[in-house]
Amino acid sequence: MQRAARARKYRLQGAGLDLALPYLMLAPGLTIVLGVLVYPLWDGLRASTRAYRYGSPVADVGFQNYVHLWSDGQFLNSLWVTVKFVALSVSFEAVLGFALALFCLREFQGIRLLRTVLIIPMVITPVVVAIVFRLIYASDAGMLTALSEAMGGGEAQILGNPLNAFIGLVVLDVWEWTPLMFLILLAGLQSLPHEPFEAARVDGAGAWRVFADLTFPMMRPVLAVAIVLRTIDAFGTFDQVFVLTRGGPGEATRLVSIYGYDTAFKFQQTGYAAALFVTIGLVVLALAFSAIRLLRRVDAS
Amino acid sequence: MSTRLARILTTIFVLAVVLLPIYWLVSTSLKSNREITQEGTLYPHVPTFDNYVRLFTEKQFGSYLTNSLVVTFFSVAIALVAGAMGAYAIARFRLPLAMEGKVGLFLLTLRIIPPVVILIPVYLLMLHLGLLDSWLGLIATYTAFNVTFCVWMMESFFREIPVDLEEAAMVDGDSRFGAFRRITLPLAAPGLAATAIFAVLVTFNEFLFALALTATPRAMTMPRGTATLIGRIDTDWASMSAAGVIGALPIVFFALLVQRHLVRGLTMGAVK
Repeated sequence: MQRAARARKYRLQGAGLDLALPYLMLAPGLTIVLGVLVYPLWDGLRASTRAYRYGSPVADVGFQNYVHLWSDGQFLNSLWVTVKFVALSVSFEAVLGFALALFCLREFQGIRLLRTVLIIPMVITPVVVAIVFRLIYASDAGMLTALSEAMGGGEAQILGNPLNAFIGLVVLDVWEWTPLMFLILLAGLQSLPHEPFEAARVDGAGAWRVFADLTFPMMRPVLAVAIVLRTIDAFGTFDQVFVLTRGGPGEATRLVSIYGYDTAFKFQQTGYAAALFVTIGLVVLALAFSAIRLLRRVDAS
Repeated sequence: MSTRLARILTTIFVLAVVLLPIYWLVSTSLKSNREITQEGTLYPHVPTFDNYVRLFTEKQFGSYLTNSLVVTFFSVAIALVAGAMGAYAIARFRLPLAMEGKVGLFLLTLRIIPPVVILIPVYLLMLHLGLLDSWLGLIATYTAFNVTFCVWMMESFFREIPVDLEEAAMVDGDSRFGAFRRITLPLAAPGLAATAIFAVLVTFNEFLFALALTATPRAMTMPRGTATLIGRIDTDWASMSAAGVIGALPIVFFALLVQRHLVRGLTMGAVK
């Protein structure tokens, strides 16, 4: 059977020009990817072992840039801010998105409107999302200030205060990305088989039992994938912070992406910034691959 | 009855959370700078379109919009063609060293790495090629990013289409490539559409590389141009909010138009 299938596949490959066809078809895509993504990756690795002055390499420093990272208080702080930001945002998004998906599972009036409106936050340009939230938080022109003044209060201080600015950034991310979580989880819920739920209903199981014993365990793989996807994405967050706070006040919202960008383009430490980004890339890849491995094991058992 | 009420209240609450910030953006864009900073009104008392007019007469938003449309169109179109062919090659052929499986994984790995990681070397590359601040530099960069996920998404669409249909076409005298073009491609059209829509969204909204690779209205895209309005000391809220509306409008309109394909594209990878 397998042999027959293989034979058929070979036969399909044909002869003459058709033999070269797969390579001809792969060539354009691979060429551009190798040129614009893979070569730069290699170049970035090389740059990370050098010291730069005014944008040109002046010395080979081996792994010194990498070693230096771990005694750089600003880098460590940006890493910590990023981890806090990712953990908080993604947790809120997962919980809210799941709750919303369960809520929308049963058809009711207004659900189509709800689902349409929920698409808006995640398709709007991230830069514009940041502008929207600046307009909400700003102490002079902000919505919060306007509301507070309408109720007799004073100016709202959000972006000038380290803790409030950080919370403000998390709120932005939750507003922007909960809808994606919601859509993925809703699609997951809708693809679950009906039989177990009917059986549970016949047995008279309560809503909580159904959720804890059926819905949640069955949804765990989809939930895990959604969380991994969002986590990887959130690690690279840049646009929103760049426009909302530029990393401030102080270093309160300075994610690694922002710190790396400043190191490269503001402080012109090209080699050091390259080492920083290579490190971040490796961290994210390690995260992604251990997550994939974990998911496979859960799948297999 | 009480669950019905709870449902209505929840729906209203969610709608308010999503729409209020957008209301504030639109409402601010219709106020004068004086009304925004000094009066703090909750809705525009003296609505004006001046802010929008100013964007196009004084701040080159016409150029930003043109640049965005050109760059998005070409980088998505090229990536779709190159991606569809590449995806077909690894979905249907056996290659030496089992490369057909590895190419997909390789592209997925590239996709997982945060784009910011290769920002510096891409900048250096474009600098050496003299492609900074040009359409071509942006198009090349975005095309490469788009190809990675176009191949990855389309491969699964092609696998769903039975080989027998192509075989039948070839028995009838079609070449291999002809069968791909006339039979497989049209059958995969809905999947291609979902991929294209996703690519358009990501490309139109991209900011990081536009920030590093462009510097003048010659090549600045909408998000990049909008960011130039953010001042260090004084913020021109009126222009900024109007720019936000202009930047969001085409993409939101587009997204609502193709809503069904969009949701499919966004959720496909995760649920599979």
